[in-house]
Amino acid sequence: MTGGGPVRDIQVTRGESCWVGNFSAMASPCDILVETGDADETRRLTGLAADEAWRIEAKFSRYVTDNAVARINSASGKLVEVDEETASLLDFSATLHDLSDGGFDITSGVLREVWAFDGSDNIPSTDAIAQVLQRVGWHRVDWQRPILRMESGMQIDFGGIGKEYAVDRVAHSIREASSCSVLVNFGGDLCVTRAPTERPAWKVGIESVGGGQGAADTLIDIRTGALATSGDTHRYLLRDGIRYGHILDPQSGCPVTNAPRSITVAADTCTQAGMLSTLAMLKGSDAEAFLDAEKVRYWCRR
Amino acid sequence: MNRVGLRCALALALAILTGACSSMGVEPWERDILAKDEMQLTTDPVEAGIDDHIYFSKEASSGGRGFGGGGCGCN
Amino acid sequence: MQRPNKKSVSATLAAATCSLLGSGAPVPVQAEEDANWDFNTALLYYSEDNRRVDDYSFNILAKRNFVDDRVLSMGLAVDTLTGATPNGAIRQDVPQTFTRPSGSSVYTIQAGELPLDDTFHDTRVALSINWEQPLGRLWNTSAGFSGSKEFDYLHLGINASISRDFNRRNTTVSAGLALARDSWEPEGGTPIPFAPMLDVGDVSNKVGDDEKDVVDIVLGVTQVISRRMLVQLNYSFSDSSGYLTDPYKFLSLVDGATGDTLTRTPAPGAEGPSHEFRFENRPRERTKHSLYGQTKYYIDGKVLDASYRFMTDDWEIDSHTVDLKLRWPFGANSYLEPHLRFYTQNEAEFYAISLVDGAALPAYASSDYRLGNFDAITAGVKYGWKTKGGNEMSVRAEIYQQRGSIPSALLIGNQIGRETYPDLDAVIVQFSYLFSR
Repeated sequence: MTGGGPVRDIQVTRGESCWVGNFSAMASPCDILVETGDADETRRLTGLAADEAWRIEAKFSRYVTDNAVARINSASGKLVEVDEETASLLDFSATLHDLSDGGFDITSGVLREVWAFDGSDNIPSTDAIAQVLQRVGWHRVDWQRPILRMESGMQIDFGGIGKEYAVDRVAHSIREASSCSVLVNFGGDLCVTRAPTERPAWKVGIESVGGGQGAADTLIDIRTGALATSGDTHRYLLRDGIRYGHILDPQSGCPVTNAPRSITVAADTCTQAGMLSTLAMLKGSDAEAFLDAEKVRYWCRR
Repeated sequence: MNRVGLRCALALALAILTGACSSMGVEPWERDILAKDEMQLTTDPVEAGIDDHIYFSKEASSGGRGFGGGGCGCN
Repeated sequence: MQRPNKKSVSATLAAATCSLLGSGAPVPVQAEEDANWDFNTALLYYSEDNRRVDDYSFNILAKRNFVDDRVLSMGLAVDTLTGATPNGAIRQDVPQTFTRPSGSSVYTIQAGELPLDDTFHDTRVALSINWEQPLGRLWNTSAGFSGSKEFDYLHLGINASISRDFNRRNTTVSAGLALARDSWEPEGGTPIPFAPMLDVGDVSNKVGDDEKDVVDIVLGVTQVISRRMLVQLNYSFSDSSGYLTDPYKFLSLVDGATGDTLTRTPAPGAEGPSHEFRFENRPRERTKHSLYGQTKYYIDGKVLDASYRFMTDDWEIDSHTVDLKLRWPFGANSYLEPHLRFYTQNEAEFYAISLVDGAALPAYASSDYRLGNFDAITAGVKYGWKTKGGNEMSVRAEIYQQRGSIPSALLIGNQIGRETYPDLDAVIVQFSYLFSR
């Protein structure tokens, strides 16, 4: 490990009872835990994982200047033809927009121009929000696979599904490449490739809300499936004692009121887990009721 | 070691500790080894309790790590 | 705008995800909160040589971790003691007969033998409950009850402690307080201090029951030294007041020149002691101070646990204890842990071998070997392993040896050369099983 070296390196270390490969992607530490493999196998699988994670990051990150998302965002009202993968993500986003009655909206990213969730008390004015809302709304987007046309000034951002999608894609690659049980963990959004053989389950901790120096609060045994967490522990604004979480309602332009501090959902795939926790957050005070009605296993902290 | 000597030793030990304390230690991400079960101060509380009870019954001293032990009619 | 949901959100989402990922139906998720209870159980066998004490014990500690680092612990220990313990009298070249503590019969010790009383067949049950609760990020508190019962002894106690972290949790300062009220209901009653041992059926030397109060205070600092090393320093204060004497122990009343025990004849038709014995008497107050330091040091996969304790009290006993353990892992799933403990103490101020007939009675006197001058060594090894189900088992075997000496000033006449500290040899065998449910 050298200071100032390239961010794009992989490390393989011996963990408590498994091998761990790690790298950084999508602003998260990414761990690949291999149950029964060895250092070489772990390096191979971590390499596969990193390649796929970095590919997705490069293709869909809003920080890269000439990738698929950048081409869409700089089209200024003109038609854009997208590839298969991007089309699938757009289809998915459209379904989610419907399913959430407009709560989930990949065009709502521009609201970050007025909301900077840095722990300060800079709440934007109603006028500022109204201005930005002119450029928000999936209904303003004309999407007929594979052609997309957005009004000028609008932006799409896959930040709300990118990480969970990457976890599932990586898990799929690893599943095809190895019969070992592997836990793919991108900063708390995780998936198990196949059931472990030497232990009843993988143990994962949900970080306690409000600090605790990373001490895990709740320990979850996961054998198959995935977990994803939505929460405002690190990104929020605080003014007059009121805490504004970072999940924004695209229709009001303001943070969802009375959302839980953190929700962790267990589902068959990381994408489903991530979407369910996001949808629950959007319901604010009805988050738990929504998840109960859907018969979903979740852990919620208010 | 008489009472005064004991008090001096105690005060010195605490002074050294508190003086050095603020610069010693590790960052939260460096706690991997310290988090291991075998690195806890009392690895097995039942075994520690058994030993404390045996030595309380056979010797004139007790406790140290925690409370005085005892609660038994064997001494 | 609400729309009637013909399908549930989950079902629609599942289908949409399937299209997105294109990898077929996933395996259904199995995720559940971790096992709620951790159990730590142990079986102990302790045995001293020369027909002395045998102890079999079963221990169990159940811990439940709640969200937010709250912990409930409950412990149960059951001990069965059998065997004999020195009664405090010196050896003689003739047989000696003693009245049992109950006052209802006698027992005889052969010439030259160390007098042992085997009255103690007792079962002890001990219970404890403890609740630990953090207050905010840096404070932690705990409170608990403890109680134990034996045939002739009852202990009731409460304890509480509080701690706070500093320096990015590298330093922890803690304080604890424990209060106990223990009561004796000895077989036959507590003897009047220095009362003579009487014939069977005569209980005029015994009174009723008695009790003692104990206050314990512990102040401690724990400090992380480095990634591999942790240190703890504790100061303890303990004050006991009340009945601190052992109601079953006594001293021989001896001739000032020969050092031999005075003989005695029981009343006509009665059974009783063959010699003169006087019940012991200890102060009704004892204050102890201890300083304890411990370190855990990780070297290349092995963990060294080293501690030192110094104790001093107002009975003029000073003791030093050094304890060393090295946990040596081998393979992925097992470890070996050798253990060495050194202990030394000097005798109490009122420790005596016998009482001299005709001399002024001291304020306090006891010949209990546990208040004497001795060194002790424990040496053993523990072997532990992880089972297939992820649980832990271990077995340890140790020997414990006490070797003492009697200060020559305490020996008179024929006692010199004949009377020696009752050296102790014991084995300790323990089997442990740790599992979660």
